[in-house]
Amino acid sequence: MKKVGTILLLLIVAGTFLFAGGKAETVKSGPLSVMIWDSNQEPGIRKIIDDFTAKTGIEAEIQVVDWANYWTLLAAGAQGGSLPDVFWMHSNESQRYMSNEMLLDITDRVAKSSLIDLANYPADIWSLYTYENRYYAVPKDVDTIALWYNKALFDKAGLSYPDASWTWDDLYVAAKKLTAPDRSVYGFANQSNNNQAGWYNLVYGNNGYVLSEDKTHSGLDKPEAIEAMKWMERMILEDLMPSQSVMSENAEDVLMQSGKVVMAMQGSWMVPSFRDNEYSYENCDVAELPYNARTGRRPSIYNGLGWAIAKNSTRADDAWKLVEYFGSKEAQLKQAQLGITMSAYVNTSEDWKNSVPKFNLQAYLNMQDDMVIRPFSKNTVKWEDATHDIMLKVWSKEITMEQGMREAARITNEILADE
Amino acid sequence: MRNNSLRSKTAGQTFFWGWVLILPTVVGLMVLNIVPLITTIYQSLHKTGDFGRGYIFIGLKNYEKLFSDKLVRQSIINTFKYTIIQVPFSVFIALVLAVMLNRENMRGRSAYRTIFFLPMVVAPAAIAMIWRWLLNTEFGLINNLFNIRIGWLTDPRFGIYSVAIIGIWSDIGYNMILFLAGLQEVPRDYYEAAELDGANVIQKFASVTVPLISPVLFFVIVTRMIAAMQVFDTIFMMMERANPALAKTQSLVYRFYQASFIVKEIGYGSAIVIVLLLFILAITAVQLIAQKRWVHYS
Repeated sequence: MKKVGTILLLLIVAGTFLFAGGKAETVKSGPLSVMIWDSNQEPGIRKIIDDFTAKTGIEAEIQVVDWANYWTLLAAGAQGGSLPDVFWMHSNESQRYMSNEMLLDITDRVAKSSLIDLANYPADIWSLYTYENRYYAVPKDVDTIALWYNKALFDKAGLSYPDASWTWDDLYVAAKKLTAPDRSVYGFANQSNNNQAGWYNLVYGNNGYVLSEDKTHSGLDKPEAIEAMKWMERMILEDLMPSQSVMSENAEDVLMQSGKVVMAMQGSWMVPSFRDNEYSYENCDVAELPYNARTGRRPSIYNGLGWAIAKNSTRADDAWKLVEYFGSKEAQLKQAQLGITMSAYVNTSEDWKNSVPKFNLQAYLNMQDDMVIRPFSKNTVKWEDATHDIMLKVWSKEITMEQGMREAARITNEILADE
Repeated sequence: MRNNSLRSKTAGQTFFWGWVLILPTVVGLMVLNIVPLITTIYQSLHKTGDFGRGYIFIGLKNYEKLFSDKLVRQSIINTFKYTIIQVPFSVFIALVLAVMLNRENMRGRSAYRTIFFLPMVVAPAAIAMIWRWLLNTEFGLINNLFNIRIGWLTDPRFGIYSVAIIGIWSDIGYNMILFLAGLQEVPRDYYEAAELDGANVIQKFASVTVPLISPVLFFVIVTRMIAAMQVFDTIFMMMERANPALAKTQSLVYRFYQASFIVKEIGYGSAIVIVLLLFILAITAVQLIAQKRWVHYS
């Protein structure tokens, strides 16, 4: 009797382990797992996946994890060998994932594909997902930056709306007039960590740079960059923007949608947020960024996501079919038409522009005339994070912009030397 | 008779069954605690590569870097500040509440007990989200109710206290239940004797209740201290990365998370938690020695 009991107990213990293993196996024959970070885009992407399922019979399930936790989860999945089949890649992280062979090499599949032709997508976006001449992701979208403003509050102040003729000084003057003396309304907002859609554009507009082309040093301590950022310092010190506390608790789009802030720079991926909010749909519109009066430049820092496949995906062929479909003209057009975000595919921007006729989305398209790819290196996150710690002090008025820029450059250079 | 049959078992059988029965716990401990502990110590001595590949042994360099890292030093101060505020208040308030809710003639006793215990049942993430909105500077209920503009979570002077208050609020119920259990063990005779001697409420509390439940009190203080030193979730949930109060609020565990999972310097992050482990070990050791002076086991 006792022996039977012992054997039973051991079986249960062993079974627990076996079961744990078996469960993971069964998941792989279910729908493809897809992971993204932007909940604004989820409904649209779901529609595209529905089309894909109708065509091929392959099912896919989306999981949305917010930006900050997305990379934590993805890194854990990469290390533990359990990445989702298909997921978004970003230039901040792509180098690490490609060089560590976490992504499926799709070079040969792209060459054979009848749906994907390299020439139909911006070369810059391919370059973000190219490592040692091999491709690791299909371009999903492109983005540009423009200036959102609140028409109602401009009307109330009796000012004319921003347009392509504005310089940064015009923005400053308008912000000053729009900011209420009791600070119940602020003219402008730019969070310390809004770099791509925010202060990077100022730096490049003044012919400065954030990262040297050979990715060996930071340009933040160069006179052009510092001069450009003095504009931002003025906005901070004269309280034409909400305090850093307020901006950290409420995102720029939330502040605009509650009428607290009149103008803010936002990426084209934010359009759904302004479209789906009743107040901003009625009252807000978008214009080109101001241009730099000295250089005459109006650059837009741009970027584009890619659809990547896990290297160890057990269903690489199905996953490729999905990624290929996401990149196809049909799905890219649909992405634009549904107003999910600007598509990477050539000649789809008109469709995107017409997705929300109420907004002047042409402004985003006009920003494509001078595009600068978002600076990246192998450890982008590391120096961006360190830079942000310092910018936080500048925004909190603890140190001057010049001190902050020099310190950020020094730390970035140290990190780059280590790469 | 049954006792006899138990005794008749050979020592070998007892040994075997003993191990079989604790096996699940031992395996759990090994897999979930001991192995990660050893890995963490190992990692803290290395410069770790991407995705856990390419470890380079660098000795104590991570620890050297740690003590010259201003953010880490500040986070050590923050962690102690939080512990010193959160533990005494959450223990004392819970003890007083437990004594009050232990009176037999009290009306609605279980309703009160339930209300105080509720925060314990709610997911910490939900608690954090609710408090985050209550304390929001611009749109928060508290500021708008009293018509003030205080950056509860964003002013570097207040951040740590706000987080501590939420920590106290969410722990009171749990501590209270433990104290209530302890109070059931206190014989009524002692109180009757104290009353005969003319002791008032406070004297009874200090001279009868506290000494008699001191083992429970000790247990609660030790476990709460350990938990408080590891504070992370409320800070993580309530404070954005761009929060100006973050530097003066973030705990060691938050710093560890930032290093290991955001910047992905796993070696450095491991060194931070090892330091935290040493702090907790030291504090717990001191408490274990000091308890001989004030804890009465009957």
